[in-house]
Amino acid sequence: MSSKDLVLAVSGLNVAYNESKVLFDVDLNVRRNQVVACVGRNGAGKSTMLKTIAGFMRPTSGTITSDGESLIGRAAFVIADMGIKYIPQDKKVFSDLTVRENLELGSYASQDYDWMPVFDYFPKLKVLLDRKAGYLSGGERQMLMIGRAILGRPKMLLVDEPTEGLAPSIVMHLRAVFSELAKKTALVIVEQNLPLVCAIADKIYALKEGRIMAELTERASIKPEMCEPYL
Amino acid sequence: MNIVKWWWGLLLCFGLVALGRVFLPLPFAIEVLIFSIYTMGCNYLLGRVGFISFGQPAYLAVGAYAAAFYFFYLGNNPYLGLLIGIVVGMVVSLIIGPLFVRLRGDYFALVNLALAVIIFYLMQKVLANVTHGDNGLWFLTSLTATPILDLTRPDQFFIFAFLAAFALWVFYKYLDDTIFGALCLATKMNDDKVKSLGYSNFNIRLVAFVIANTTTAFAGAMYAVYLGFVSPAITGPERAADPVVVTILGGVGTLYGPLVGSVVYTGLKDVLSKVLGNWELVIGFLLVFIMLAGERGIWGSLEPQLRRLFTRKAAGGVSQ
Repeated sequence: MSSKDLVLAVSGLNVAYNESKVLFDVDLNVRRNQVVACVGRNGAGKSTMLKTIAGFMRPTSGTITSDGESLIGRAAFVIADMGIKYIPQDKKVFSDLTVRENLELGSYASQDYDWMPVFDYFPKLKVLLDRKAGYLSGGERQMLMIGRAILGRPKMLLVDEPTEGLAPSIVMHLRAVFSELAKKTALVIVEQNLPLVCAIADKIYALKEGRIMAELTERASIKPEMCEPYL
Repeated sequence: MNIVKWWWGLLLCFGLVALGRVFLPLPFAIEVLIFSIYTMGCNYLLGRVGFISFGQPAYLAVGAYAAAFYFFYLGNNPYLGLLIGIVVGMVVSLIIGPLFVRLRGDYFALVNLALAVIIFYLMQKVLANVTHGDNGLWFLTSLTATPILDLTRPDQFFIFAFLAAFALWVFYKYLDDTIFGALCLATKMNDDKVKSLGYSNFNIRLVAFVIANTTTAFAGAMYAVYLGFVSPAITGPERAADPVVVTILGGVGTLYGPLVGSVVYTGLKDVLSKVLGNWELVIGFLLVFIMLAGERGIWGSLEPQLRRLFTRKAAGGVSQ
């Protein structure tokens, strides 16, 4: 398969925070509409990998391409403009803006003003439109962040720990949303919730101390017990 | 409904300024209006983009000296002088902006202060043969009368300043309601998240920087026309914190903050300086009090009370 068939191709990626090396020769491939999960302990380098792909960090070496185009050296906003949207772990929304204004920012950037798909996935947002985002619960913030990111039909979502600290009912809801989203876009999810990951992922990369230790590609092999040794 | 509400507030504020013109000395009313325009740029930078600038006198001086050079060496039409002040302010902001808006926090504040110091010494010493150093440029008597509103007459200058301040308030209110206004706030709250949506923070900050400092340069050009005199004192480092102080006094990021802050600051300065030698001391204590009381400034603290009062009255009216 050539790199042009891949919505994301990462090869020999090395990333460091000053003198401290965090990622070592990471290879990762994502096909169109594929759900790829990255699991690993805290500090394994999962979030760093997403940030590097999204353009927030510069690798020391290696290549990152999307549809054959290199992402290295491109600014984060240019990568987002290419349809690769990053949803960070912190669940920080623009707290002084309303839900409506938050969505408007997503719409204006992507020139997509049709919010129906967002409300189909997250009906709750429709009734919260005029509420300041700072007053939303953790789950509602996550809904807003995902809703804002899917405007403009991105070709890939990079989602960092989406269920961290959320109630089980919200996690179930997000699981259903990700399954639906996967029909339209590629997903790279960094997550420690193994039941969720195993339910939706087509491929799992297990990271440990900055290195890819295992790559589970067979649907039958994607089971929590196969991932547990890396957590 | 919202439009009615903010128009009410705006009309009330400016109505009070117009009324103040009847009871207060004309120079005071003009000073308040020009100072509020001067502060509007700082208020936008600080309240909307999160830039604290101790170099606003630099941009004030750019507008003032651009107009002054025109009046002293080239022509005498006050409107043309104001236009030159605005254009030069915009051009200087466009040249400096790409360098400065990359900086954040303390560095942005200090690099602007450094610019104010540079311009002060340029005007005072380096370019003294053109600027006449501390003696300044005098051109009050050479300004020609203009049709409709004669800016050489203080009473008509007041009307012009009033209309200009009003128009700028409407402009900033409009800006707040646009997607650009939301983006400015967003970039203040979380840089990375704005980038991850596909926006360039640099471009957002640059546009805000140019808008704010062009407003400040306009205030500088207004000072030049009104006083008929410009000297390096306008960009003196000792006055560098003035617009920031007024912004904080009025209420950072609030629509009426610059006007309220300018009234209080100019008022205290005028009244206290007649009684007290060190009037800045009172301003200092007032600032400390405002910070400790919740960092919202005078208007920022009054607004929720007024809103509650009006809401209660409206609710009472409905129930009757």
